[in-house]
Amino acid sequence: MSVFMDLNLSFTADKKLLQSVVETAAHLGFSTVAINYVFEPTAKKKQDIPSPTPINELIDQLPVVQGRSRPIRVLNRLTIVMSDSSHFRPNAAEYRCFDLLAVQPTTDKLFHAACMTYDVDIICISVTEKLPFFFKRAPVNGAVDRGVVFEVSYSAAIRDSTMRRYTIANAVSLMDTCKGKNVILSSAAEKPLELRGPYDITNLGLLFGLSDGDAKEAVSSTCRSVVLHAETRRTASGIISTMRSCSESSCQQEAPPAAADSEAPAAKRAKHQLPDD
Amino acid sequence: MVRVKSRYLLCELNVSDRSSLLLLDDRAVSAAVKAAVARTHGDYGAALCSIRFNVKYLNAHTGIVFLRFPKSCYRLLWSALPFITSIETRGQKIPCFFNCLHVGGTIRTCQKFLIRYNKQQLHRMLPTCKTKEEENQVCEAILNCSLTGGRREAFEDEFESEEDEEE
Repeated sequence: MSVFMDLNLSFTADKKLLQSVVETAAHLGFSTVAINYVFEPTAKKKQDIPSPTPINELIDQLPVVQGRSRPIRVLNRLTIVMSDSSHFRPNAAEYRCFDLLAVQPTTDKLFHAACMTYDVDIICISVTEKLPFFFKRAPVNGAVDRGVVFEVSYSAAIRDSTMRRYTIANAVSLMDTCKGKNVILSSAAEKPLELRGPYDITNLGLLFGLSDGDAKEAVSSTCRSVVLHAETRRTASGIISTMRSCSESSCQQEAPPAAADSEAPAAKRAKHQLPDD
Repeated sequence: MVRVKSRYLLCELNVSDRSSLLLLDDRAVSAAVKAAVARTHGDYGAALCSIRFNVKYLNAHTGIVFLRFPKSCYRLLWSALPFITSIETRGQKIPCFFNCLHVGGTIRTCQKFLIRYNKQQLHRMLPTCKTKEEENQVCEAILNCSLTGGRREAFEDEFESEEDEEE
């Protein structure tokens, strides 16, 4: 049994609901989940980027993962819905509070830019509408080379039959272009009953045009490489990380890579996090 | 010797309110699966689902279901299961979802897996007992069960009795 992750649980202000979603995820066997904050800038007025609520405030006690003795790991994630290139500000300080950074481009140009240049971890594919642009080989291949992944979320497909058509159509056209590599399947669930078990999701990948192996990777190893990629974004090539020590504020510490991602053994590390990243 | 090959899916029904599980029966589950397959795969799926599809076993206390599918098309039929959001039974709609735990070639391997799984659940839940008395009660219930029923019933009964105490 491999380690399963679900990198998209919608944030709701209702603490109890969120807690029950995380508990259900732990019961289903997901060992890492990410709570997703959606930020949709509009042209008219300036909005603030949501700041993440600390995990220990949201959830009192982390539930133990099914089949393991470790408690579930919860991350924060920001998704920016982009309709204009000014919406993504590289190196913004607000982004640093989040563990994962995702963008959802809505135009062809932005998709190209997100794939080729933006320093993000995940590119979301919209599943609630007809795709506004075609996927082209060049940007998709560029994203695969850079280690950026594409995300397809399935809970819209569960809610509604029209959404199901859009989800499957968009997913299949994506899989045609990227050949099943660098894709993750996540839930985007708001309620506990919108989650599905990891094996069911793997099989759902069949409908989305993934092969057996790719579908399994979409819920396990690709997700892990995303999390590691996110860590390299914050550190210098994943080798050096700086943090402020409590006693002297100016003192900088150097952490070996083993400390940065101590959970993953070095041999199982994803191939994307080479120093040029 | 040649035999007809099937796949048995061991699924767990997850509901928000555990007491509503007791309302379920085989026919309701089978109707829900058939409807979901017809919805996602149309007539073709419905046709495949009418050959040798069967709900072999349903434990209304723990929400464990065994589904039998023909081996040739079980992946197609399985891919419809995530789209089930509720089961209609006795005039009520129970919101729930299927979580597949195991796929087996024979019902025996599924049973073996289920016994192991239920044992695991017991170990997970036992620390949630609040007092020592509760723990003792659970232990007693387990010992009583294993004397009377068969091996499998024993494990499921123990599971159920333990849940009762949690609430």
